[in-house]
Amino acid sequence: MTRDAAVKTVDTTRRAVPFDTANIPGPKMAKPMMPQVAGRMIARARRPLLIVGSEVHDGDVLEKVITIGKTGIQIAAVGNAYKSLGDKGLDVHYMNMHALSYYLCDPKWQGLDGKGGYDLVTFLGITYYYASQAISALKNFSKTKVLSIDKYYHPNADMSFGNLKNDIFIAALDEIIAELQKE
Amino acid sequence: MAIKKGKFVIEGLENVQINIGKVIEEGAERLIEGPTPKPGITSLRSWDYRIIDRYHPVYTPTSDMCDYCTYGKCDLTGNKEGACGIDLEGQSARQALMTSIMGAACHSAHGRHLLHYLIKRYGEDHPIDVGPSNLKAPLTETIMGIQPETIGDFLPVLAYVEEQLTQLTASANTGQEGSARDFESKALHAGMLDLLGMEVADIIQISCMGLPKAEENTAMAEIGMGILDQGKPVVVCVGHNIAAPAYILDYMDENALFDRIEIAGLCCTAHDMTRYNKTARIIGSMSKELKYIRSGIPDVLVTDEQCVRADILKEASELHIPVIATNEKITYGLPDRSGDSVDDIIDDLASGKEKGALILDLEKVGELVPRLAMKVSPIRKEKGITALPDDEEFGKLVAKCTKCQQCTLDCPQNLPIADAMVAAVSGDISQFEVLHDKCVGCGRCDYSCPVKIPVLNVIEKGAQRVIREEKGKVRIGRGQIGDPEIREEGRNLVLGTTPGVIAIVGCGNYPDGTKDVHDVVEEMLKRSYIIISSGCAAMDIGMYKDDEGKTLYEKYPGRFIKGNLLNTGSCVSNAHIAATTIKVASIFAGRKTKGNWEEIADYVMNRIGAVGLAWGAYSQKAFAIATGCNRLGIPVVAGPHGTKYRRAFIGKPYKKDDWNVFDARDGSTVNVEPAPEHLMITAETFDEMMPLLAKMCIRPSDNSLGRAIKLTHYLELSEKYMNKMPDDWHVYVRSEADLPVAKREQLLKTLETEHGWKIDWDRKKITEGPMRKVDVSFQPTNVPRLCKEVSK
Repeated sequence: MTRDAAVKTVDTTRRAVPFDTANIPGPKMAKPMMPQVAGRMIARARRPLLIVGSEVHDGDVLEKVITIGKTGIQIAAVGNAYKSLGDKGLDVHYMNMHALSYYLCDPKWQGLDGKGGYDLVTFLGITYYYASQAISALKNFSKTKVLSIDKYYHPNADMSFGNLKNDIFIAALDEIIAELQKE
Repeated sequence: MAIKKGKFVIEGLENVQINIGKVIEEGAERLIEGPTPKPGITSLRSWDYRIIDRYHPVYTPTSDMCDYCTYGKCDLTGNKEGACGIDLEGQSARQALMTSIMGAACHSAHGRHLLHYLIKRYGEDHPIDVGPSNLKAPLTETIMGIQPETIGDFLPVLAYVEEQLTQLTASANTGQEGSARDFESKALHAGMLDLLGMEVADIIQISCMGLPKAEENTAMAEIGMGILDQGKPVVVCVGHNIAAPAYILDYMDENALFDRIEIAGLCCTAHDMTRYNKTARIIGSMSKELKYIRSGIPDVLVTDEQCVRADILKEASELHIPVIATNEKITYGLPDRSGDSVDDIIDDLASGKEKGALILDLEKVGELVPRLAMKVSPIRKEKGITALPDDEEFGKLVAKCTKCQQCTLDCPQNLPIADAMVAAVSGDISQFEVLHDKCVGCGRCDYSCPVKIPVLNVIEKGAQRVIREEKGKVRIGRGQIGDPEIREEGRNLVLGTTPGVIAIVGCGNYPDGTKDVHDVVEEMLKRSYIIISSGCAAMDIGMYKDDEGKTLYEKYPGRFIKGNLLNTGSCVSNAHIAATTIKVASIFAGRKTKGNWEEIADYVMNRIGAVGLAWGAYSQKAFAIATGCNRLGIPVVAGPHGTKYRRAFIGKPYKKDDWNVFDARDGSTVNVEPAPEHLMITAETFDEMMPLLAKMCIRPSDNSLGRAIKLTHYLELSEKYMNKMPDDWHVYVRSEADLPVAKREQLLKTLETEHGWKIDWDRKKITEGPMRKVDVSFQPTNVPRLCKEVSK
């Protein structure tokens, strides 16, 4: 059996309405996205960044983030995410997300490791409303592409999963991992 | 002959009367010591630009559109311009301005209401008395350039605030200001006005109403939803303005009613009630308003102003609780009964003919409310009126839950309410007890439930055990910090040997419950920080007890020295926290204050390790306070909900030129460490917030001992709460003497191996690496005119 066949395909485009009912920012809202698309976009990005927050400590989610990190993507551990990610041998850096969302808007910022800015930023496992506000800064004041692969629909991202039940969410992360491991 | 205020007639001149309104003492003008007394909108613009150039406004819009005028709605997504030419950055800055104006207007209108009332009662010449202080009104002196002596001296102060707020509001109209940068300068101006309005409000009530005057160890007040004897008539006052509750307390005192009636407050009115009369008690913050009303315990609700829920009349009338509105700002459409007899009003309210009354005659309120409570209470208690379900109904309601999660989607905290419902069906109600603390009591869940479960009532019913035990203690608000305390502590603060002052302020919109506020205070007190609190946060600190049944207020004294816990009082008492930094600049460092905002703020920013923590800020007022503190050079950390204020001031430590200051001794430029790194920023979690607070107390002027102490806490808190050394700790090391003693050798090794610094291991000295050396005489300033060479 191939690795592709082992990964169940899930539909992550359903319930693409803001997770906070009233969080409707305006006419431009995120396109609902399938996990394979997210995986391919991350895999093909020149310099992607995965931003992970305080909802990463859960066992299943943590395991998936570690696996994604081991494919080589750099991780910004915001909130207290570093507590669970710091000792896993990943390219992980603590950063305050409010500050990070601003630095990502600055073309002169050289990134978490001083090696340059990012062309694709992906959000995962962050307090919903907090992430939504940070993404709104990127949406309106930067040229950076933003994906949300969290279990919430984030209208401010360019592309986002819909609001997902936990089992679908974990399966979607598996699909992304499969795409990343293909590259 | 001394000229006095008053009316005079001159003999022999018919129909001539001379009115003398204000006598200005000879030489009074010479009191002004700085360049900006009564600053206009642009007077401090250059200082604001210095702030903005280093601490960049960061916008996180909640809406990409503008609907301020009929050109719109305009789509500003991607920072596009709308029909009037404003872009999203400008619109976001305009919203920051309007938010600051609203907050400042609230506090200064509160001050204006009190000033009218107190002048009418005590006269304009009533002296200011705030305790042992020569610098009685630090913000007034610094902004206005005057030294007020009587409450009447505050009349021109409020007139100034009101005039400036009108000018600022005008600039927000379509077709006026268009620059985001200047909107921010104006927002900072509004924030400063807010501090001034608050100072006026609190000083006059302290001076006239016998509130504590810079007292270290005031009495303890009881706090909590479980403190009141429900068998007695219960009066609950809601809001921020002590004027009406004071009359009620006086009437109860004069008629010996304290044993017969329970009286308590919700939100900051509660603080001021306890400051006015120690018999009063505190139920809690605004988060408790709907919960307490739904409990059915209050027999009469008295509202004044600010932080009063818009639905109080609707909620109260469903439970036959009459509402007495006592302030023009909140009238609820109620009939004005100010001119009616107390007996008639009581009859109409007790019978249910009217749901409430607007009564602006406060003396009448004083008599009416206790009498009304005694009349209504037996009727209500006989009927057992409450919104909470009984046990049988509770069981049916939790079983109705379809687990659709809509309540979670509508909850500001996204709380897992359905999980608690499911557990309750199996007889486990413990999750409701957890939810009760995390829930901000907004009631949005009630509207969201498709099967009409009154969700908040169910949560509160399920949490009855913890609610009954909710009994804490709060040290009653002390008012200002007295001059003698500043003399004792100022040196430690400026040199950094006291690691910092942390102001725990703001509202109850916490991201993960009230316990976080208690926990941060306990941790920082153990580390010898000075904790000053006010408002709802000051209440929540007192809600938790240790194993011996003691609250933090009972464990830690209230003097302005390291390791002490102070409560200044209500929301307007926040002014004293900001003013404390002015006092340090004046009393310890001899800086001139009157009309000298820029120099004072520059001193505060570079030398005083003070930081505000508004972990649960929700209101426009809290934003205005934070913005005022920012203009005074005090950084503020907010909880994650703070991103919804839509603007922060964030520094770029990687942009070296942003961190140039002048050495005031010779005007030379010195590149310093990023301290404070930000002026307004949020943290996602408690763990992240803890080391951030320690870092925000670092200042360029720290001496080596002080820097070592501050770095010790920064490193320890980061390791304790984030499981890591901070990435940037080395940036704050200027010499080996800055390193925490206990870890010095280990840290020197890290500097050598990880950062490439050169160490002379024989002498255990750093020979190369730091961005600058320690210079004990260094006088950092951001203002060129304060440099000696330049001023020559």
